[in-house]
Amino acid sequence: MITYIIRRCLLTIPVLVGISMVSFGIVQLAPGEPTALFIDPEISAEDREAYLEHYGLNDPIPVQYVKWMGQILQGNLGYSLINQGMTVQEMILARLPNTLLLMIVSAIIAFAIAIPIGVYSATKPYTLKDYTFTTFSFLGVATPNFWIGLLAVTFLSVQFGWFPTGGVATLNEPFSIFDRLHHLILPAVVLGTSDMASLTRYSRTSMLDVLDQDYIRTARAKGFKQGKVVYKHGLRNGLIPVITMTGLMLPNFIGGSVIIEKVFNWPGIGLLFIDATFQRDYPLIMGLVMVSALLVVVGNLLADILYAIFDPRIEY
Amino acid sequence: MKKGKKFWLNVFIFILTLFLVACNDGSFDSTASDASATDGEPAEGGDLIVGGLSGPTVFNSLYSTSSTDSTIQDFMFNGLVEMDENVEPQPDLAENWEQSEDGLAWTFNLRDDVTWHDGESFTADDVVFTYSLPIDEDYIGPRGSSFEKFEEVVKIDDYTVEIHLSDPAPDMLADAMGYHVLPEHILGDLPVEEVGTHEFNTKEPIGTGPYKFDEWKQGQYVRVVANEDYFEGRPYIDSITYKIVPDKNSLLAQFTAGDLDHLSLTTEDIPSGEGLVEDGAAIMESIESASYSFMLYNLEHPALKEKEVRHALAHGLDRNTVIDTVLDGNGNVLDIPAVPFMPAYNEDPPVFEYDPEKAKEILDEAGWEVGADGVREKNGERLSFSIISNQGNSVREKIMLIAKQQWEEELGAEVSTEIIESSAFSDQVHRHEFDIAMRGWSISLDPGISSAFATEQIENGTNYGFYSNPEVDRLREESDLEPDPEKRYELIEEAQAIIAEDQPYLFLYNSDAYTLYNPKLQGHIMHPKAEFYRVHEWWFAQD
Repeated sequence: MITYIIRRCLLTIPVLVGISMVSFGIVQLAPGEPTALFIDPEISAEDREAYLEHYGLNDPIPVQYVKWMGQILQGNLGYSLINQGMTVQEMILARLPNTLLLMIVSAIIAFAIAIPIGVYSATKPYTLKDYTFTTFSFLGVATPNFWIGLLAVTFLSVQFGWFPTGGVATLNEPFSIFDRLHHLILPAVVLGTSDMASLTRYSRTSMLDVLDQDYIRTARAKGFKQGKVVYKHGLRNGLIPVITMTGLMLPNFIGGSVIIEKVFNWPGIGLLFIDATFQRDYPLIMGLVMVSALLVVVGNLLADILYAIFDPRIEY
Repeated sequence: MKKGKKFWLNVFIFILTLFLVACNDGSFDSTASDASATDGEPAEGGDLIVGGLSGPTVFNSLYSTSSTDSTIQDFMFNGLVEMDENVEPQPDLAENWEQSEDGLAWTFNLRDDVTWHDGESFTADDVVFTYSLPIDEDYIGPRGSSFEKFEEVVKIDDYTVEIHLSDPAPDMLADAMGYHVLPEHILGDLPVEEVGTHEFNTKEPIGTGPYKFDEWKQGQYVRVVANEDYFEGRPYIDSITYKIVPDKNSLLAQFTAGDLDHLSLTTEDIPSGEGLVEDGAAIMESIESASYSFMLYNLEHPALKEKEVRHALAHGLDRNTVIDTVLDGNGNVLDIPAVPFMPAYNEDPPVFEYDPEKAKEILDEAGWEVGADGVREKNGERLSFSIISNQGNSVREKIMLIAKQQWEEELGAEVSTEIIESSAFSDQVHRHEFDIAMRGWSISLDPGISSAFATEQIENGTNYGFYSNPEVDRLREESDLEPDPEKRYELIEEAQAIIAEDQPYLFLYNSDAYTLYNPKLQGHIMHPKAEFYRVHEWWFAQD
């Protein structure tokens, strides 16, 4: 097990290097450069040129990559080209906690709602309630998050005034847990909807499968109560495919947060990503790509390890 | 009843949000509220919360180009001179100034009662340091061209500065002297190439302005608080928070929900603003903006290089209808590269009014004959071109489509259109890879002819369309050196008329800038460029 984990960790290094090379190339392929945003007609060509030269943007792409990689190896993600004088680290670290908070709370909500519903549907398959949940989960999978988000802001925030229209906290107010939660709840629920819906489907299918197994029949024959049969004997095995799903959900969350953060004005890395991309702030884009890649790789690693813990049949 | 109205307003915002279509029923009539009616005496207190789409980059006017940056910098810093709402120079850190006979030396007498936010006194050393920066060869920043005629900035005594120029600079007050003065006692010892990336610019800006830096929460807000010792007296409003709301629809939603006190509106949102005004939830004011929109021709295109073709295209586009339908009437047709409130504005340039018959005649005379498929041809060359626009600007997209329709149906042109991601779009324009591009310029408060029309700017500058007219070049150079304002304006207006006749751009319109604000906010002044002009004199009416 330990050797497996070490091997998996070491394997992530070539993966991350590969990601960095490919994305560095793609980012540079996009037409435009940071000075394209110097829209003032009176900015002179010399000033523009001096800027490009100073930041090494006139170098060939492989040279730029090697320089960038050299910085990374020294543990430095570089300086932003747009917010001059700020390091990429500090810009990402200022935002990352917000995104992680949103993702984690969103995942907790998704699991807390989806798994009981899935299990319940599996124990009462093909009933009216099951069909109702199924319909809703299909709707949840099919509806884009940002659309639900816009609806939520329009009606729940602007129309009824139940929730704030965006941000992480009320401006000019002292810190309060309640206020933070109040701001968090809408984006977290909305970000979780599609995953909530697909988790419901997965846990239902997988539980249905498990509940049909011989050992469940044996457990019932021994006279265990329904609850014990389902949650003790069934759930542990039923959750294995769900764990795989969790690993796959992480990129989903990162991608989803880019959009949800924009809708809810949530100051996380997703919003930073959008700005960096439109401004062609190359070091910042690369920093964000690497952080997201790392999150995804670590997420998959965790899923694999959990898999091993939950499924004793798997050996390494 | 009020509720009902609000509901429909929200439904409207909602529809706008989902389908990104603007309501063009043309029902808007210009009823900017009378903002000069103020209640009671100014009182201290209150927090002003304002919003914008993007965050700041640096708090240093010599190193930034974004409008958010200059808005926030204006809270904290002062230049020597500021341009008022009528585009007249007014004293800021300088009390008065004087130009030498030959226009090669300017003397500025500085205020002696100004302190920096950290308590140090402001002196001539700060001014010398600041305006020497952009002429230093190690300077890395976008603002060198505003100072290109500067030879030397000299301290005469603690409160007098003399600036020596290589050539007369009649745009001195409107341009260079508006850049904010920086504290020499903090930045003075740094190597010049490091000033732009110093922590001062992002973490601890120290200025002389009415508000002091308090906090910048990345991606959330920037907050500044009242400077008790401001040289024009403590501002009435205690703090200003500039909230960063990256989505245009969220911005409007936040204003509607009462989370913002002040908002600049885009043209599409004016009807929503009207609704809020009717509900008594907002005051709306407008002003002609210091910007204009145009279609940029590439004069190397085989058809567009002919002046007759450009004249025909101008005659073939109904710009009044464009303004009425796309802008809901909130703009003025423009024929020259200047806006009407500027001191040099040619009232009587060649005008190409909408007249498709005349357009056809011009094309016929120029030898462009209708071919078998209905598209005009001349010497085997088809009257065919593409129009490009940047993504996310629905006004430009709509105008582009109207032009395509009118030119295809009435003139026999073949027009394709394309929408391109913004940075890629700028890149394509900078590389001259376009036939016609939808563009706009935000212009400075000096009326001089823009370098975008100068031949020397084709190679590496902002003259993306290869426009070259020696007469315009001559007038531009002469007017840039003419110290007498009246004579200078004549030269500029002459050049404007030539540019109008040459049509390197199809000039479209100069739109109005709209601002919505909390009805309790008093003393608000509309300014063509500064969103928060003299904000230290604004105040909140008490209940």
